[in-house]
Amino acid sequence: MKKVKVAFFDFACCEGCQLQVANMGDLLVDLLDRIELVEFREVMSERGGDYEVAVVEGSITTHHDIERIKKIREKAKILIAYGACACTGGVNGMKNDFDLEDVKRYVYQDKADWFDTVPTMAVDQVVKVDYYVPGCPVYIPEFVRVLKCVLQGLPYKVPDYAVCVECKFNENECMYDKGITCLGPITRAGCNSWCTNNGNICYGCRGMVSNPNKNAQMEVLKRYGIPLEWIINKFNMYNRAKEIQPQEKE
Amino acid sequence: MDQYYRLNKTECREFVGALTSRYQVVAPVKRGEKSFVFARISSPDEIASPEEYIPTIIPPKKYFFPQRETILEYDAVAQRQKAVMEYEKVVIFGVRTCDLAGIQCLNMVFSERPRDVNYLIRKNKLIIIGMECWDYCDEHALCALMDNHLPKGGYDLFFSDLGDYHLIHVNTEVGEEIVRSIGVFTEATGEDLKRLQEFREKKRSAFDTGIDLSHPELMDLFANCEDARVWEELGERCLSCGNCTTVCPTCYCFDVIDEINLDLRTGERFRIWDSCQNEDFAKVAGGESFREERSGRQRHRYLRKFKYPLAKYSRFFCTGCGRCSRACMAQIHIKETIKALIAERAGV
Repeated sequence: MKKVKVAFFDFACCEGCQLQVANMGDLLVDLLDRIELVEFREVMSERGGDYEVAVVEGSITTHHDIERIKKIREKAKILIAYGACACTGGVNGMKNDFDLEDVKRYVYQDKADWFDTVPTMAVDQVVKVDYYVPGCPVYIPEFVRVLKCVLQGLPYKVPDYAVCVECKFNENECMYDKGITCLGPITRAGCNSWCTNNGNICYGCRGMVSNPNKNAQMEVLKRYGIPLEWIINKFNMYNRAKEIQPQEKE
Repeated sequence: MDQYYRLNKTECREFVGALTSRYQVVAPVKRGEKSFVFARISSPDEIASPEEYIPTIIPPKKYFFPQRETILEYDAVAQRQKAVMEYEKVVIFGVRTCDLAGIQCLNMVFSERPRDVNYLIRKNKLIIIGMECWDYCDEHALCALMDNHLPKGGYDLFFSDLGDYHLIHVNTEVGEEIVRSIGVFTEATGEDLKRLQEFREKKRSAFDTGIDLSHPELMDLFANCEDARVWEELGERCLSCGNCTTVCPTCYCFDVIDEINLDLRTGERFRIWDSCQNEDFAKVAGGESFREERSGRQRHRYLRKFKYPLAKYSRFFCTGCGRCSRACMAQIHIKETIKALIAERAGV
């Protein structure tokens, strides 16, 4: 079987999602029977060459990024938005809550003029995306599932139901029963409720379901006496740049 | 009288110990401050105290019909497929009457033709030991309204706590075998049965339904409620998190998914619980959804418990366990919904 050439690229991100691939262990060996890595800054020094599949981590935050992602898109047959930053803008999207000039001054201070910046965008706000692997970081079993779909030429659908579904399958005690708020009820599943299985809350890193009942969720959170501003901040932590709507874009 | 045995409370530990040495035993164990799960136990100490234990997060249906279950293995290139049947012999200890009713409902559903072989084979390997409640577990329980607070079969052995001893009803040969092989039981007398009757009399008054409706009236209430405003109101509050259906002992919808291995040749087909509350559940090719509105999905859930199964199986599919109310993020409570329907019909 001919191996598919795959290249990893990163934009504004922490590269933590790519690190998840480096951490795959034995599964990575199996995967390398199917794909040939031609570019992956985090694990290899070779670069360049042709690729069929581009795995893109990070959000688009500069004019240079826009030009670069367009070139990648031109070269790639398949483009995978990889991780929260690429799929929804991720935490970088919080920038969009502030004035762009203020943000630049805050970060680069007297050197602000040296740097270019644009409002944070998810990859599909600039170029067409074929597959989405949401999450901060990505959930490796889902990434493998997506790759298998790519290799078979099948579409992959990010689940459009709440994290609560998987969390209940796993019989975790509900965070709300412990008096802790959690974004599970409006966040897309597919991570097997990874965080709540380990005692953490859901931060909504996978983006919201396509049709969240935001008013109802606000009502639920209000019951816990949380100020409205905090609630909006909670929603915005991963979802400010955009709300992921992979399927509906077709 | 041979159907009843006594087990002194001082012998309970010995009984459970003997059970765990002979079988895989699952029982309610404490998961969090207010939550319990059925889980494998190796010692009687792990079992949640009966006074404390409210219905588990997921009912025992997970042993009959697991959340995710492989049903087929295939080789796409050789065009070969093999049905997969995974089961274990397990004793489910401490099943309340609401959950016994839930299992009875699922038995009817999965026995219908075409029969669900996976469910039925697994069912035959499971041994059920029921346990009587003497009071409501909490404010969400409505077992008495659904008439499931008293045992009506569906178990191998059934324990009723009569103070310093348990009275055990033996309902099957498997149950009889357990009692015989673990020699800690003594035969019950007429006195014991009289005592059970006294306890049950007291129980009838303890389980006030709080909703003054007979079963024909409850049937009637849901028979003509399609256009009730109640559903709109529930639709506005519902988050579609699916908690109500996942935890329901009689919800059995599932999706079937094929997943190929990395060799791109072999793979498995599995089924996974699905929910009518999920956005995509009623979506068809072309993207149309038959139940786009949350109000319609909530109504559907209620009618699947209080209307449709009456025509098909002649019984309510709400067992009264109260799990959906407990698990609802938006505090949509089944008793409140019934009261709201009554009020709306009365023109209040």
